[in-house]
Amino acid sequence: MTINKKVQWVLWGALLILLAFLPKFAGPYLTNVFVHFAIFALYAVSYNLLLGYTGLFSFGHAMFFGTGGFATALALVHIKGCSLLVALLMGFFSSVTLAMVLCPIVVRVSGTAFAMLHLAFSMLIYTLALKLRKITNGEDGVSGFPIPAFNIPGVISFDMKDTTNFYYFAIVVIGISLWLLWFVTKTPFGQIMISVRDNAKRVAYMGFKVPQTKAMVYAISAGFAGIAGAILALFQNVISPDLALGPGTSFQVILITMVGGVGSFFGPIWGSAIFTLLQEFTSRYMAHMTELIMGVILIVVMLYFPRGFAGVLALIGSKMFGQSPKKNAHGG
Amino acid sequence: MDPITTMYVTQGMHGVAYGMVLFLVASGLTLIFGMMGVLNMAHASFFMLSAYFCYQITIWTGNFWLALLLGPIATGILGMLVERFLLRKIHALGHVAELIVTTGVMFVIAGAVKLFWGTEFLAVSVPKILDWSVNIGGLVYPVYRLFVTALTTIVLVFMFLILFKTRLGMVVRAAVSNAAMVNALGINVSTLFMLVFGAGSFLAGVAGVAIAPSMSVYPGLADQMGMDAFVVVVVGGFGSLGGAFLAAMIIGLISSFGVQFLSELAPVLTFAFMAVVLTIKPMGFFGERE
Repeated sequence: MTINKKVQWVLWGALLILLAFLPKFAGPYLTNVFVHFAIFALYAVSYNLLLGYTGLFSFGHAMFFGTGGFATALALVHIKGCSLLVALLMGFFSSVTLAMVLCPIVVRVSGTAFAMLHLAFSMLIYTLALKLRKITNGEDGVSGFPIPAFNIPGVISFDMKDTTNFYYFAIVVIGISLWLLWFVTKTPFGQIMISVRDNAKRVAYMGFKVPQTKAMVYAISAGFAGIAGAILALFQNVISPDLALGPGTSFQVILITMVGGVGSFFGPIWGSAIFTLLQEFTSRYMAHMTELIMGVILIVVMLYFPRGFAGVLALIGSKMFGQSPKKNAHGG
Repeated sequence: MDPITTMYVTQGMHGVAYGMVLFLVASGLTLIFGMMGVLNMAHASFFMLSAYFCYQITIWTGNFWLALLLGPIATGILGMLVERFLLRKIHALGHVAELIVTTGVMFVIAGAVKLFWGTEFLAVSVPKILDWSVNIGGLVYPVYRLFVTALTTIVLVFMFLILFKTRLGMVVRAAVSNAAMVNALGINVSTLFMLVFGAGSFLAGVAGVAIAPSMSVYPGLADQMGMDAFVVVVVGGFGSLGGAFLAAMIIGLISSFGVQFLSELAPVLTFAFMAVVLTIKPMGFFGERE
């Protein structure tokens, strides 16, 4: 959809104002729903960096999401007086570290082998988290850890147990993360990323280092998934293997990304919105049919809208404005 | 026999029995993957569905043997329908799309099963004729497990005869190695895909009915079996039946001895084994291509 620059700025401004005043008129329940949506939007966008931009299909992205969550939670449990930002950075860096450890193994392969290796490692970490009860409390997970206030000494201090305050904190962190990710895709490095997806051999021939590029993307993607997990841990004050590390969480991000549209940067955000609404709806009116409905939606989307919701939007945009849809990173 | 030897032999036999069932499920999965390049996420769901069919048929008729006949056939037909009406339509969109659609089928089956049968553990009784135990020198072993091992062996022998001794099997093997070329030689590969998908689901169905009396029937059956079957296919190398057999036996023995020696961490062993094999050989034991 190509709308001219001025309209675009106005729209962004309107979005910002809407976000700033959301807790005022939406009430605490909807505010929490929105935070949940934003967390999964960041998680899905970080995943799309791998799948959509670099063409690496992973079955185990939840291991980074969960590692970030667990690292933050455990830091708050074990380190006395750990501040909020330190805990958050702990989540980021532990996921990046995990990615760095796995890098030498996973960047050599692509396609099915890449997907399968991730299935293996994520299931390994998931079962370890379930069984090492002394560290993770098994199925129950880590819960009830103290949530420190966000304070700049001598200036301000926000109590994070308050829904509205936490909303602003989460939105700002996720907003900055999303902007950074968007920025990465627009740099020359982002272009190389896309080229690796389209033709890795040729990129290597042109003198760029393919494995190192993959490793970079991998670490970035893991780190931001870690931030999403860390915010989830802070938001719910509990993190458990099934909530954040399990195969269900790995699948969820694939579904969100595919339904939203793997073709564009904003697709996964739409996907997260759709899934959050769907979950709210099904858990309220037909809890026993959630899986059935998810399955049917997935099949219908793949059969009739293979480029997801973002693809549908682009189509509507091109019909309305009479322009061809903008050329974008379309993978799949 | 002294108790230690008895323990080793019993666990070994459990491991082989589980490995055989696992191979029955995994062989369908690996054939489908080798031929169509589709990793069928719904494969274990077919397995579970067949166990539920078995439960329902034994409730209605009280006859286990009828369930053993009809359950796999119903599952096979369902598999063919899924291939014909879903997978074929999106074949052009590539493997990720096919993966997602089979994931959708997996969710639909899981949801439908919960809707119709609930989430309780349902018991299927072992048929009277097999409901006793043999005693070989102090080793007591349930006959039903021996029957399962024998049944899976018979089914697998039939499968190997069809695959390696008939013209149809030759065409299937050719299509596994190069589907486009077989199509160019004037063989209707679309129909072949449908048949192989149906046959794979049929094999999963046999495993589902066979395992129903010895384990309870419940919605988690698919996750449990599915994960192990994926590990087998991945470790053995995609599309390789020999590799799958080797991997199924190793995983069967690992899980049965793992439960014996380190009960808590037994599930970790399977995935650790998979991670180690894939780290050394990313394509599995006998896998050659992506």
